[in-house]
Amino acid sequence: MIGREVEFLRLSARQLRSKRLRVVLTVIGIAIGVAAIIGVVALGEGIRYQAIETVKTQSDLTLIEVYPQTDREVTQLITQARVDQLRSLPHVTAAAPVFSDSYATKKQTFLQVLAVRADEIDEVLRLKYTSGGVFSPGANEVVVGADLGTMLQRNEGIRMGDPFIAMVREYDEQGMPSDKEVPLVIVGTLGGRDDKFDRMMLIDMESAAAIRGSEQGYDTVFVRVDDPDQVFSVVDRITSRGLEATGAFEQIRAVNQFMDAVMIVFMIFAVFALVVGGMMITTTMTTSVYERTREIGITMAIGASGNDVIRLVLYECLLIGVVGGVLGDIFGVLFTSVMNAVGRPFIIARLGPEFSSIFGSEIARLSPGLLLAGLGIAVVFSLVAGIYPARKATRMNPVEAIRGFA
Amino acid sequence: MTASIRTESLTKQFGNGVTALRDVSITIAPGEFVALIGRSGSGKSTLMNILGGLDSPSGGSVYFDDAKVDYMDRKRLIHLRRTEVGFVFQQFNLIPTITAIENVAYPLLFNYTPWEEREQQALRLLTLVGLADRADHLPHELSGGEQQRVAIARALVGDPHIVLADEPTGNLDSKNSAEIYRLMRTINQEQQVTFLVVTHERELASYCDRTIELRDGTVVA
Repeated sequence: MIGREVEFLRLSARQLRSKRLRVVLTVIGIAIGVAAIIGVVALGEGIRYQAIETVKTQSDLTLIEVYPQTDREVTQLITQARVDQLRSLPHVTAAAPVFSDSYATKKQTFLQVLAVRADEIDEVLRLKYTSGGVFSPGANEVVVGADLGTMLQRNEGIRMGDPFIAMVREYDEQGMPSDKEVPLVIVGTLGGRDDKFDRMMLIDMESAAAIRGSEQGYDTVFVRVDDPDQVFSVVDRITSRGLEATGAFEQIRAVNQFMDAVMIVFMIFAVFALVVGGMMITTTMTTSVYERTREIGITMAIGASGNDVIRLVLYECLLIGVVGGVLGDIFGVLFTSVMNAVGRPFIIARLGPEFSSIFGSEIARLSPGLLLAGLGIAVVFSLVAGIYPARKATRMNPVEAIRGFA
Repeated sequence: MTASIRTESLTKQFGNGVTALRDVSITIAPGEFVALIGRSGSGKSTLMNILGGLDSPSGGSVYFDDAKVDYMDRKRLIHLRRTEVGFVFQQFNLIPTITAIENVAYPLLFNYTPWEEREQQALRLLTLVGLADRADHLPHELSGGEQQRVAIARALVGDPHIVLADEPTGNLDSKNSAEIYRLMRTINQEQQVTFLVVTHERELASYCDRTIELRDGTVVA
């Protein structure tokens, strides 16, 4: 059985060899289509990879902020039991409940306050201080974000270690506001993080509760994940428990969604190229079938069935597809190497050296899977393109086929 | 392995209204060498095509060893072409891209016969037609007479009951024509293969056991 198929293949190969130029042009047509797909996908994947790497290195990817779902009728309260549940999830190293509050300075600088337990803050948030350090419990000490620190210093002359008065607004039973003056002291300033911590003031939870004079419910839990690659699985587990999660991982999600959309548009154009290649196969093979009308008639006269004739034609298409696919892979590899060799210096020259780090070493990324897919697509297209001429061949009346050209 | 072939009131009418065969009833005995003669348009080729399963009759029946051929059964016709008849054409009609031995072995490819066995058979038949030394030549490297000998070998490879030869010497000169007839006659006698040969050259018909003449689709002799 296998020997027979091999022989069909050999016969087809010889047919192709006898019309070399036409076949070479067709093969190149398919190869260009495959190379276009490989080039586009490699480039798209390269850009996606670089964008995600940039997110990974420049933001705090493993920090997830968890809060109750807001669009539900019944809002789930965050209790200590829930926090413990989150802490026990796989790949979660730490979870810290917090609550938010807002104060103001005497000069009306708004202070967005996050109340955190002093013993949990470093483990979960992994803060970096440019000066000072973490607060002590119950001591009315605060840590300010980079931007807030600069603002307080510039506008109000409040520096590290300076005590200052924060105004805390309270409402009486009639709903009348009154401001309570609370003395605070800055014991630490954070380094810039490019996130909301830059404009926040962190305070020890014990102190924050004492300032309000009552126990405050948690509104958010910060969760730390051990591995950047596990963030999405942890997020899935959190959301499946009826909670919402936010964090830097959403940027990756956004990059992926954006790149998926871009890739679809790119692919449409690349597929056009391949469709043209497929049409070339159809034309080549239809012409070939017409030229061989008589030969196909003879083949049927000496015992070939319709399926045998279809097989002979499709094997020729298969060969064109395989050779075109392999050649397309080679073109694709060459194309991406050129992109990486020439494109990178070009981008650095155009956009400035700071982009050289973003576009690390490769702007187009090839994978064995992509090359295999290129080959597979070429083969499938070729076989589809061969269906019409193959059926055409079997519909021929052998008598007329033999006589027609006599 | 030969069989008797019989037609009963065979008619063939084409779509354009032309009647090619009218009530043709002939019998060819096993091992016979029969010439089919008649002018062009007399229905010779149509009769050959129907006997070979390439065309179907409008009426009447064909029997191979008393078994009626069902022309509606595609598989039956493929089987008929593969194993019961062998065709020899006027134009030789070898596949131009493959060698002489591969051409001879080609019909067996569709029978799932392994290459070694096919090669062996093809070589035996090429030897029979005296072309063993030309086995690896492509058709265009052979003379007309040699090509037709390869075609005869190809017609014999399926071990058919009958070889249908449609003006096998129409494209050959008289010396080569005579050689081809002598070859077919030898094969007929030594291998016990039935031959039905279309010709319009009466002197070539003298190589045959008997003659069937068609005129306007009817058997006249």
